[in-house]
Amino acid sequence: MAASVHVCNTLEEKLTILADAAKYDVACTSSGSDRRGKKGSLGNAFSAGICHSFASDGRCISILKILLSNECIYDCKYCLNRRSNDHPRATFTPEEVCTLTVEFYKRNYIEGLFLSSGIVKNPAYTMEQMYRALYLLRTQYHFRGYIHVKTIPGADPEIIERTGYLADRMSTNVELPTREGLETLAPGKTHQKILAPLRQIQSGIGQHRLSQGKSPRLERHQINAHLPGNIFERAQALELEEKSARAMAIMPSSEASFVPAGQSTQMIVGATRENDYQLLMTSQALYQRFDLKRVFYSAYVPLNEDALLPEKDTPVPLLREHRLYQADWLLRYYGFSAEELLSPEKPNFNVLLDPKCDWALRHLEIFPVEVNKASYDLLLKVPGIGVKSAMRIVKARRSGTLDFDGLKRIGVVLKRAKYFITCKGKMMYHIPIEEDFLTRQLTGEDARTTWEMGHPQTYRQLSLFDDMQLVAPPTVEDTKKTLQGQL
Amino acid sequence: MVIFTCADDFEAMLTCIYDAWAARLGHHNIRLALEPVEEMELFASYRSIPADPAKAEKVAASIKKKISPAAFRMVYGAALHESREKLDAIYRFLVYGFHFGAKVLDMLGEPVVSKVFSLQRKVQNETHFFREFTRFSLVPPQIYFAQIEPKCQVLPLLAPHFVDRMPSEYWIIADKRRRVAAVHPKDEEFYLTSLTDEELTQMEAAREGADPFVSLWKSFFAAIGIEQRRNARCQRNMLPLWYRKHMTEFQ
Repeated sequence: MAASVHVCNTLEEKLTILADAAKYDVACTSSGSDRRGKKGSLGNAFSAGICHSFASDGRCISILKILLSNECIYDCKYCLNRRSNDHPRATFTPEEVCTLTVEFYKRNYIEGLFLSSGIVKNPAYTMEQMYRALYLLRTQYHFRGYIHVKTIPGADPEIIERTGYLADRMSTNVELPTREGLETLAPGKTHQKILAPLRQIQSGIGQHRLSQGKSPRLERHQINAHLPGNIFERAQALELEEKSARAMAIMPSSEASFVPAGQSTQMIVGATRENDYQLLMTSQALYQRFDLKRVFYSAYVPLNEDALLPEKDTPVPLLREHRLYQADWLLRYYGFSAEELLSPEKPNFNVLLDPKCDWALRHLEIFPVEVNKASYDLLLKVPGIGVKSAMRIVKARRSGTLDFDGLKRIGVVLKRAKYFITCKGKMMYHIPIEEDFLTRQLTGEDARTTWEMGHPQTYRQLSLFDDMQLVAPPTVEDTKKTLQGQL
Repeated sequence: MVIFTCADDFEAMLTCIYDAWAARLGHHNIRLALEPVEEMELFASYRSIPADPAKAEKVAASIKKKISPAAFRMVYGAALHESREKLDAIYRFLVYGFHFGAKVLDMLGEPVVSKVFSLQRKVQNETHFFREFTRFSLVPPQIYFAQIEPKCQVLPLLAPHFVDRMPSEYWIIADKRRRVAAVHPKDEEFYLTSLTDEELTQMEAAREGADPFVSLWKSFFAAIGIEQRRNARCQRNMLPLWYRKHMTEFQ
């Protein structure tokens, strides 16, 4: 290949190539770990996470997201770094990764490192290189910031275990929710191969937590304690593998932590024919059976041409991705389950309404809700009332009844909520609780944002020639230039 | 109407609250305001209160004891706000606080409580923005220097975060608007100090072009955005232009 002849020497060139290759990975959070700084070391971890910048696409930049290498032995159809693409390749040395992380961290550019990689030579070798980078960073560079590392499916379980003691979060990308999808688009990968490290790490986290006297499941947001029937409560007990002699031997010291911020994964939206129902059911199963901390969704950006993939000019399904995130939040913070939001008969989200509004309109019998009396879980079912607002309402009503002005003062946004609540038995305006009317009102409120998200390329400058079908005849110079080959 | 005035600094404000309370004129007959008073009122007398550490200490102790330590943190947060009305708002809040005790913090439906709550929330939010968006650059030999221009006085809340984050580095954060700097020598506690114009320009000149990682960061920042998802409006929502003034990647 012509491109691989070009050798990248400077750090800046490598960084550009390997950041560019990593940008389709969604996870950029630095949350879930709480670790104080220490004299002589660099860095801490802040449990809520810190975003440090926002890129031109509006996505947050929290950690230095790079690949160790973008060379790959696999040929996954959707991936930019697949073997068959003619593309500049580069590989960092572990020392370069450390320098970049530490120096960026000191300038407050980032919260830590996100390290992923294409598969160089074989999975075991790649994982070893990643482990080496992390080991150097933690021991030689005394780095105490956040580290998110990808597990490479197919790597040796021992090296994965060792990496777990150095990282805050680990993740393995499920990529596609169904077996068939994965087989068609990622010929080198299988479901078992991907699920094996997920299971291993989940088991490791569970055992480590047990040994610290905690429950094997990760802590979820405190609001879930007030939500009967939330998805985490309904999950069965985790199957923990017997802690092996191998794991016991590796464990560095008693106060070491093992993937304290939990595991995450990512699914591609829109590359295959799976519907929202399948995606959301898969997420729910991952939360329940693998105790994942997060599932990320990545709207498919067409990069490669292939008969099995959507056309290259297919718009990026941003609105669909947005709806999936909204539903994902409803699962984790609002006590909803996937079956309540979607069903095989209605497998996709409403384009015009967010999933919670959509649900509320199908359950008008429980509305309006009296703000001064309703329980947490009922308050959270009201469109427009979130976890923070619900907590403030419950706090404030202990010392007096709330009216609509009071709600505004404590920061509850009434834009949507006003259609679904009463204060002291009265609604804000005289509004009929009627499906058609409410649908009209609510879609009107959101029409603009929804439209913009679904049609990102709608606003552009008019072009006289393209839009008015005018044809400018080529001039003599044009003809000359064409002949000489300069365009 | 008697109006008690004091300088915009926490100790002076607590002293002012002490004297206003001790004057026993009735809460409705007094007001508290910050100096300089912009428009004097005709039918009011003004009393300027100088800072007194002993009185301030008493007020601080009784807020912590009679209301709660959380209430003290809230008052301290509100006192860092840029608003001119914060002092009076804090006084009204304390009247409620000393009457109701610790549960006053939950009474968010009350206008006097929600006022102080929203003042301190603004300060906390802005502090968090600067946790995110403060940018250091290397000044030879080995000092990390940052400049900020916050609306509220966030430096006292911001500096402890960076002390924990970089305990063994020499760093300085300068609040350009107030000419105050937080200075943190290696392995020591930080301190706040005032800053002259010359010192500021000197630091600015010294860091010019000295940091090799600036261009690396810029190219990373450019590479990480996905062109097909370009969305300047979302970017502006998350990171308002106002904060970009001293950010490396936007310079």
